[in-house]
Amino acid sequence: MLFTMEQVPHILVVDDDREIRDLLARFLEEKHQMRVTAVRDAREARRALTNGHYHLVVLDLMLPGESGLDFGRWLRTQSDVPIVMLTAMGEETDRIIGLELGADDYVPKPFNPRELLARIRAVLRRAGDAGERRSDVSVRNLRFAGWTLVPSRRRLLNPQGAEVALTGGEYDLLVALVERANRVLTRDMLLDLLRGRQAGPFDRAIDVAISRLRRKLDDEGRNAQLIKTVRGGGYVLAATVERA
Amino acid sequence: MTLRLWPRSLAARTALVLLVGLVIVQVVGLTIHALDRIDVQRLAEARDVAVRVVSTYRMVMMTAPERRSEVLAQRHRLPGLTAEIGAEPPIVDAPEGPPFGMRILRVSLNLVPLMGVPHWRELRVVTPHDPRLVVVSMLMPDGDWLNMTIPVEPLSALHSPTFLAAFVLMTVAAAALTLWAVRRLTAPVRTLAAAAEALGRDVNAPPLPEDGPSEVATAAAAFNTMAARIRRFVEDRTELLTAIGHDLRTPITRLKLRAEFVEDEEQKGKILADLEELEAMVSATLAFGRDARTTEPVASLDLAELLRTVLDEAGDARPDAAARLSYEGPQHLTVRARPLALKRAVANLVANAVVYGGRAAVRLIPPADGMVTIEVEDDGPGIPAAELERVFEPFHRGEPSRNRETGGVGLGLPIARNILRAHGGDVVLANRPPSSAGTRSGGLRATATLPV
Repeated sequence: MLFTMEQVPHILVVDDDREIRDLLARFLEEKHQMRVTAVRDAREARRALTNGHYHLVVLDLMLPGESGLDFGRWLRTQSDVPIVMLTAMGEETDRIIGLELGADDYVPKPFNPRELLARIRAVLRRAGDAGERRSDVSVRNLRFAGWTLVPSRRRLLNPQGAEVALTGGEYDLLVALVERANRVLTRDMLLDLLRGRQAGPFDRAIDVAISRLRRKLDDEGRNAQLIKTVRGGGYVLAATVERA
Repeated sequence: MTLRLWPRSLAARTALVLLVGLVIVQVVGLTIHALDRIDVQRLAEARDVAVRVVSTYRMVMMTAPERRSEVLAQRHRLPGLTAEIGAEPPIVDAPEGPPFGMRILRVSLNLVPLMGVPHWRELRVVTPHDPRLVVVSMLMPDGDWLNMTIPVEPLSALHSPTFLAAFVLMTVAAAALTLWAVRRLTAPVRTLAAAAEALGRDVNAPPLPEDGPSEVATAAAAFNTMAARIRRFVEDRTELLTAIGHDLRTPITRLKLRAEFVEDEEQKGKILADLEELEAMVSATLAFGRDARTTEPVASLDLAELLRTVLDEAGDARPDAAARLSYEGPQHLTVRARPLALKRAVANLVANAVVYGGRAAVRLIPPADGMVTIEVEDDGPGIPAAELERVFEPFHRGEPSRNRETGGVGLGLPIARNILRAHGGDVVLANRPPSSAGTRSGGLRATATLPV
């Protein structure tokens, strides 16, 4: 794990519904050993940010008063703190604007708490990675072996420019592999990305997701060239990644 | 029989009435023309006969009596008739001809100038049975009869083939003009029918042009007003649903969070499953409302991969059904479409097959005639033929008994159809015939088409 006992991640939750704030705080604190400060709007969030240090902000885009998007934009000018947005279900415009202004991920509301937790963990891990320029990660396209990842739309384009559908878990998995290209990712790290998304046993889910990714990247067969299996339990993406 | 002669379409009925009228008018006109023409011919003929008769009479009168028979024998000197001198008028066993014709001939004979020759003492005009001959006898002042037989042209109503051709041409032209005008004038009715049909399929169909004849323009305007009201009604209902859907998000989120604190794992699982279902319904409702104003841009996408991803996700959501999901078709197939919308449409078809039919066999058929075809088959009981179209109506939920168990708000198929039609494709359902082995029922097949 990235966070030791002394380094319990501190999460700022911004949501106007008191029940959701309280329940989410309890869920993250009691069940998943995180520290949570919950506030109801942008004004309170600003005050909280000046008074404390946070590892991540969970931001509801539908806030009374100043909108979540405006607050997120302001926050991005102030710090690099990771942001996970809560968006209206299916409102793609909000989502795209949010990701473009520098939010790290989004979860549509009504969200599944365990999925939100998985996203929080994935974003925290990415942010905790040494030497990673986060703002680059979330906005700029990633190119590898002819393929393009478009983070602002969570899309994968094939070398011909056609979109290749990915499930949420597959997308997160691929981003993790691409961002750490040529470095081995352990199964445990990848498993965390999928937690909360899949039904069924997790260890099997990772193999399934990797084999699907290979199929989608035309990387099938006995000796997969792009996503290589590392003896001892891990995977590595063998490609040069360009950011553009 | 009479019913069969009376056509069904407005255009055909109007055309029939006008054409029958045209034929009657032409026949009456032709008759009047023919009668008139016969009169004129009779007059001209009488005058012609009179001139020939009188000129023969004058020639005979100016010839010495002993030479008269000799002259009359020289037929070339006579103006197209035969004549002889006799003591008696010829006995023809025929009544005096048609009074009118005879009278005209008598009047005409008296009108031709004699130019100094003494007038005849008596005149007889007889028409024998042969209508092409007229016999005129004149009693000359010396007491002999000059008997002349004159061939006449039979009266004919139609004087030339050109006239007949012109007449036929005129009739045909008038008929063609009638048919053209009828088609043109009834076109707005067809347009109106097509518009009503289009409105039935798509509430946002473009309005009718409000031009043309005033009655047509009025009807079009009334139709457009009606369409606008229906659209408004649908929009209001959709907005209401969307509002409810939005409002439900907060309580559902709370419940999902609360469920995480339920100690009983079994109950927790059930609560979460219920909430998933509730969320799916809200999601469908919101998706349906959103489809009305689709703004997603069109992009190139790999349809084969999209279908397999939908199947993967369906399998992840229902691991028990994963083994009964299959894909058949090319590894890659690029089309241009709205990625999220198309994925939702296909996901709805697959979900229907899994829920009601226990299996989803997806087949992608490469383009033919510019359309790719996606078939989704299941092994369910199928649905009654009468329901095949009705299930595409929003909020229609088929048999109540079936839906109590499986949930759903009856929006999956309408959304799928809306999306595919917005792409220029469509989706239809059909019951498959039972397989030849006869071991299993046919099941249902959804066939979606999409332009390449």
